[in-house]
Amino acid sequence: MSIDTIVFFTLAISSIISAILVITRRSPIMSVVYLVLNFLILAVIYLTLQAQFIAVIQVIVYAGAIMVLFLFVVMLLNLGKEEALTEKITYKKRVAVGLVVVMLVQIIVGIMMSDSKFTRHIAPNAEQIGTVEGIGKMLFTQYLFPFEVTSVLLLAAIIGAVVLAKKRIDG
Amino acid sequence: MLTDFGRVFLFFIIAAIFVAAGLIVARLLRPHRWYPGKLTTYECGEEPVGTPWVQYNIRFYVVALIFLIFDVEIVFLFPWAVVYQNLGMFAFVEMVIFLVILLVGYAYVWRKGDLEWDRPEPEIPFIQILKRFIS
Amino acid sequence: MLQQILESLKLFQPEIVLTVVLCASILLDLIFRNKPNFIGGFVIAGLLLAGYFVIEQANGVTQSIFSDMYAVDPFSVFFKALIILSALFVVVFSLQSKELNNGKRKLGEFYSLLIALSLGMLLMTGASNLLMMYLALELTSLTSYILAGYKKEVPDSSEASLKYVIYGSLSSGMMLYGISIIYGLTGSLSIYGINEALSMGGVNLLAPKSSGLALIAANVLMIVGFGYKISAVPFHFWTPDVYEGAPITITAFLSVASKAAGFAMMMRYFFVTYFDAVARSMEGHFTALPGFDWTYIIAIISVLTMTLGNLIAIWQNNLKRLLAYSSIAHAGYMLMGVVVLNNEGISAILIYFVVYLFMNLGAFYTVMLIANKIGSEDIDAYKGLGYRAPFIAVSLSIFLIALTGLPPTAGFIGKLYLFAALINAKWIGLAIIGVLNIVVSLYYYARVFRNMFLRDPEKDSSPIIFQPIHILVTLALVIPTILLGLYFSPLVDIAQASVKMMGLM
Repeated sequence: MSIDTIVFFTLAISSIISAILVITRRSPIMSVVYLVLNFLILAVIYLTLQAQFIAVIQVIVYAGAIMVLFLFVVMLLNLGKEEALTEKITYKKRVAVGLVVVMLVQIIVGIMMSDSKFTRHIAPNAEQIGTVEGIGKMLFTQYLFPFEVTSVLLLAAIIGAVVLAKKRIDG
Repeated sequence: MLTDFGRVFLFFIIAAIFVAAGLIVARLLRPHRWYPGKLTTYECGEEPVGTPWVQYNIRFYVVALIFLIFDVEIVFLFPWAVVYQNLGMFAFVEMVIFLVILLVGYAYVWRKGDLEWDRPEPEIPFIQILKRFIS
Repeated sequence: MLQQILESLKLFQPEIVLTVVLCASILLDLIFRNKPNFIGGFVIAGLLLAGYFVIEQANGVTQSIFSDMYAVDPFSVFFKALIILSALFVVVFSLQSKELNNGKRKLGEFYSLLIALSLGMLLMTGASNLLMMYLALELTSLTSYILAGYKKEVPDSSEASLKYVIYGSLSSGMMLYGISIIYGLTGSLSIYGINEALSMGGVNLLAPKSSGLALIAANVLMIVGFGYKISAVPFHFWTPDVYEGAPITITAFLSVASKAAGFAMMMRYFFVTYFDAVARSMEGHFTALPGFDWTYIIAIISVLTMTLGNLIAIWQNNLKRLLAYSSIAHAGYMLMGVVVLNNEGISAILIYFVVYLFMNLGAFYTVMLIANKIGSEDIDAYKGLGYRAPFIAVSLSIFLIALTGLPPTAGFIGKLYLFAALINAKWIGLAIIGVLNIVVSLYYYARVFRNMFLRDPEKDSSPIIFQPIHILVTLALVIPTILLGLYFSPLVDIAQASVKMMGLM
C-alpha cells in the first residue's frame, strides 16, 4: 500500500466515524462539535486531492460561518432537554437503513467492478486546477454562466432570509 | 506524495500528538481529588444561576445568515483578484454584474432595517413549527 | 471567449430581462413602500417583455451557449413560453387573492420572488450541464420554499414551508450524490460529454465487469431529484401538505410551472445523456444506450404515481388537497409520455402541458375565488354552490371535466395524443393502466359536481356576486380549455415543431 492509500483510508474512516458521531450524540452541541471535526477532515481530504482553494473555503465557510448558524439554531430552539430528543428505532427506520445499505453496496460494487477506462481517470492537470489561479481561470471563463447565476441564487436567499425571519407580517 | 501540503499535514499531526501526549502525561501524574465545587462552571467566583440554555434572539440568526451569504460572495472575490491581471476588463465586467446583483440584496437588507439592532419578541409561528417538528 | 459570450447573450435575452426585472422590482419596492399593486403591475410588464423575447426565439434556433452550459432550442423555448404564461396568470391571481392582500402584509417581495422563481424555472428548461441543472433546481427550490411559507402568521403555511425545505434538501442532496458518481464514472458534467464518454466506453449491463451497476444507482439518485420536483411517487410526500399550506396562487404556480420545468429538465437529461448516437434509427425515433434501459424505471414510477395519486385523492375532503393528489396523478400520466422514446411522445407531453396549464390554473383560480367569498376550501362547503354562484360553479366543473379528460374539453385532446403515442410505441399495458386511472379519477372529480349541483346549500343560500374582473380572468381560462378541445390543430402543429432538442439526433 502506498502512503497515498493509507492517508486516504485514515481520513475517510475518521470522517465516517465523525459523521456517525454527529447523528448519534444526545447533546446537540456535541453533534455540532463533531460536525466541525467532520468538516475539517473533509478539508484535509480536499488537500490530498490537490484542491487547496476548496480546502480553505471549506474551513472558512463551513467550519466557520455555517457552524455559527448551526449553533444559533440550537440555541434559538432551546434544545436543552436531551430526553425530548431521543428517538425510537422503529420498523420503518430499520427498513430505511436496509435500503440505504443495499444502495451503498450497489454503488461500491458497481464502481469496484467497473473496467471502464473512465473510473480510474485522474485529471492530468489536477495540480494546476486546484490552485486559486486555476479555479479563477475556470470560473471566469468556462464556468462564467453558473457563477452569475449564483449571484441570483444568493440574492433570492437574502430576501428569503429576511422575509421568513421577520417577526411582523408587515415587516 | 509528500507535497508542500503533505508537510503541513504532518506538522498538524505532530502538533496533535504533542497536545494529546501532554494531556495524557498530566492525567497520569496529577493527583485525583475532586469535589462538586470543581464541576461548576466557575470554580471560584460567582455561583451560577439558572441554566446556560437560554433562548437566543432571532436577530442573531438573521445577522449570521446574511453574514454567511456575503461570506460566500467574498469567497468568489479571491480567485477573481488572482486572475484579474490575465483576464482584465472581461473579468471586471463579470464581477461588476455579480456584485450589482448582490448589492441589490444588500440595499434591501439595509433599507428593511435588518442590520439594525432592536430587541423584538421572538414569537413567530415559523419557529414554533420548527420546534414542534423536532420534538 | 468574449465573442462567444456576446453571441450567447443574444440568445439569453428573456433571462436577462427577468434578472433586471427582479433587481428593479426589489429596488422599486424599497423606494415606493406599500404599493404592492404597483410592483405587481411592473412585474407583469417585465414578464410580457420576457415573453416577447421568448416568442422571438421560437424560430427553430438550436444552439448551445455559454460553453455548453445552456441550450436554446425549440424544446426549451416551448417550456419557457409555458412558464412565463403561467407566471403571468399567477401574478394576476395574486393581485386578486384575499388571503395575500389582507391589508397588513408586504407583498413587494412576493412579486420579486415570483420573478426569481420563474427565472430559476427558465434556467431549468435549458440547463445542459449537471452543475447548471443543480444550480437552477436550487434557485427554483429555494424561492418556492420561501413563497410556500409566505403566509407565515398561519401555522399551516410555515409548516408547509418547513416540510418543503426538509424534503427538498434531502432530495437535492441525493441528486448531488448521483451527479458526483456520474462525474466520477464519465469525467464530464456536460450532458453531451457524458453521452460521448458512455458511447465510447460502452456501458453494458450484460458484460461481467461493468460500470452499469454504478450508473443505475447514480441515476436512481438523479431520479430522486427530478421526482421530487415533478412530485412523482414515491417522492411526493411533501405535495399535499405544501399545496394545502401555501398561498393558493403559489400552489397553482407550483403545480403547473414547477412541474413543467422539472419535466423539461428530466427529459433533457435522460434523452440527451442516454440516447444511442451510434444506433441510428428511424426519423423521429431514438433508442436508449444498450444495457441501460432507464425507460422501465420511469414506467414503474409512472404507474405508481398515477395510481397512488388517484386512489388517495378519493378520500380527500379539502379541495386544495384533492387537487394536489390530482396533480400527482397528472404527473404520472405525463411520465407515460417520457418512456416512449420518440418525437410523438415528446409532442404529446408538450400538448398535455399546455392543456394542463389552462385547466389546472383554472381549477385553482376558481377555488381561490370561492375561498375569497366563503372562506373555506372544504368540499362540504361547496354544497349548493351551483345555485349560489352559477358561473363560477360551471367554470369549475368545466376545469374538472377537462382534468378528468372527457370530451369536448382540451383535457381529452391532451390524453388522446398521450395514449396514441403510447399505443403506437407498443406500451399497451401502460396505456391500459392509464385508462383505468382515468376512470378512478372521474369518481372524485364527480364528487365536487355532485356537491355543487345536486345538494342544497346548508346554511347560507344567498347568491355570491363576483366582480367583472374575476369573471374576465375565469373566461380567459375557460375559453382555451374548451376551444383547444374543439380546434386543436395549431397547438398540435406548434408542439410537433417544438420537439427538437439540442444534442438529440
